[in-house]
Amino acid sequence: MREYKNLQTVAGMAMVILMVALFNPGEARAADVGNCLLCHKYPGLSRIGEEGKFRLFYVNESVFMNSVHAKVKCEGCHTDIQNIPHEPAKKVDCLMECHIIEPSSEQKFSHKEVAEFLSKSVHAKLDEKQNPKKYAEDMPYCLDCHDNPLFRPLSFFKRVRPGISEMALGRCRVCHKSDEFIFRFYNHVTTRLHTIRSPKNIAEMCGRCHDDPKVVARHNLTTKAVYSYGETFHGKAASYLDERIPDCLDCHVNRGKSVHQMLSHEDPLSITYETNKDAICTNIECHPKATPRLANYKVHMEFDPEQSPKEYYFKIFFITLTGGTLLPLMGIMFLDLFRRLFPNIRITRRK
Amino acid sequence: MEAYRIIKVKKGEKYFFRSTVNQRLQHIILATCVIVLVLTGMPLKFHDAFWAPYLYSLFGGIKVAPIIHKTAGCILMLLFVYHIIYLSCNIYIGQIAPLRKKKELSIGKLLKLLATQPLIPNPKDLKDIVQLFKYLLFLTDQKPQGDEFTWKNKFDYWAPFWGVPVLGISGLIMWNKEFATRLLPGEIINYALIAHSDEALLAALFLFIWHWYNVHFKTSVFPMGTVFITGYLSEKLMVEDHYEYYVKIMKKAGLEHEILPPNESYEREPAEGKMVREESDATSADENFKTMNPRKGESRND
Repeated sequence: MREYKNLQTVAGMAMVILMVALFNPGEARAADVGNCLLCHKYPGLSRIGEEGKFRLFYVNESVFMNSVHAKVKCEGCHTDIQNIPHEPAKKVDCLMECHIIEPSSEQKFSHKEVAEFLSKSVHAKLDEKQNPKKYAEDMPYCLDCHDNPLFRPLSFFKRVRPGISEMALGRCRVCHKSDEFIFRFYNHVTTRLHTIRSPKNIAEMCGRCHDDPKVVARHNLTTKAVYSYGETFHGKAASYLDERIPDCLDCHVNRGKSVHQMLSHEDPLSITYETNKDAICTNIECHPKATPRLANYKVHMEFDPEQSPKEYYFKIFFITLTGGTLLPLMGIMFLDLFRRLFPNIRITRRK
Repeated sequence: MEAYRIIKVKKGEKYFFRSTVNQRLQHIILATCVIVLVLTGMPLKFHDAFWAPYLYSLFGGIKVAPIIHKTAGCILMLLFVYHIIYLSCNIYIGQIAPLRKKKELSIGKLLKLLATQPLIPNPKDLKDIVQLFKYLLFLTDQKPQGDEFTWKNKFDYWAPFWGVPVLGISGLIMWNKEFATRLLPGEIINYALIAHSDEALLAALFLFIWHWYNVHFKTSVFPMGTVFITGYLSEKLMVEDHYEYYVKIMKKAGLEHEILPPNESYEREPAEGKMVREESDATSADENFKTMNPRKGESRND
């Protein structure tokens, strides 16, 4: 019994240590050298902005500390804030150099290269001749797709599952002394070994523009892409939170490239180009036994006589069949019920 | 004497033979598979509906429900194949073989024989439908006097007969997309999805509204018909739906004096003291039934 109590105490202490390690207030202080949380820790810190929108300035410390930017100091991004209390802060420029040193090059870290990739992609604001594209304002900027993502670690000890593997951490601690470093490094690496968002989440993100009828019309797109994806088995499975199912990026980004390098389906280098697209479905992780024909499946088929005329009339046949069968039968059912409930009504003289 | 066995008397009421144990088992497998398929399929078709995630979770969600769906689909397809074999054997053994024995079989006779199978629609059905509309619109009090299988029974039989292959083949294409697109263009999956999803909705609505109304929910049967379990239909319902056949059976059984008038089944108590021989074994009744009417032996859906 006493041993059991001891065990409880040890387990309790372990929990406390784990909690402390996970939420890591020490690190919070490290990132918050300017003591910004003195004010921003209050959940009610908010106001109505000049454009009439509600703006919340509360920073949830524990959430922030589990995000990919946990190590970046507030002043690292909000460079215009010099004094406290401060004037309304400017929008953050995601391309600035921050104080973090990128370990492989030992240079100051910046997202500038990502912006360069983006400028050559289908989402670029300028065309090949560096002239602004039509409706360039519709093209996404960093914050249109990204928030401050949370770590989404994977456990790799004996089996793969979500979360941090305590078993694996023991092996890290042999060499690395700082738990703060171990946790961050573990999170940093394993979060990137899978997608940071679920397929449903990614589809919803793309849908913010690609399902907007105005954007679809302005850019002459043939489909509300996320809507039509949602009508496929992939999309339906994604809506049931299946993590294994392909999302927009799995098909539209060339293998081994970043989403920021996504190309138009009209670009011969793109995986979605007519003669390249067979490689999308037949890759080793999806349908390796399939022939290139599988890629002719119209993922973005819509019930529209202009976009997919054959499929449209095929569906019309089934709608007619359904209506043509059920409506008369329902009519008979209704009349039958009426006849049974009011058997003595007389319309004509009968024998 | 043997002909009496198609009428069973229990607690003074007559029950009329409708289907063998084999046929009832086929129907129960069909019904169970269809219900499971609808419950595991509709949350995918209507994945945006508020109820869909709850229903899908009940079947294990996206990881398990598709396995259940495919299993039920396979059972249903096997049942369909079995039913075709069962039907062919019955027609061959019961009807074609005797003709061959007598050396009377010709192509004309064979076609006529196939066209006059009890579940094949015939002019009498059209007459019954016209009569039904007259009755439903209060133009007459005379209900259609249905034969052994009414046009509703035939509708109920041929609907799954068309539906199962459509759903089965389209389902197999989507399941084995790699193999299917080796033989056919990739667009076939689009067509398969449309056919599978729309035909399934039609089948589900047809069965759960029309079929269930006619066999369970109409006021004379409510709350539940039992013929799919017992294989026997009560005299009341026999008079209501199959009057022509009822009269035929009663006459054959020598019970002319007990025949109830049409449309009056609700108003009259069953005749007392004129019991026919009690028969509790449905399968032996089926044997006798075949003797009496050698062309029977098909699956029925009512």
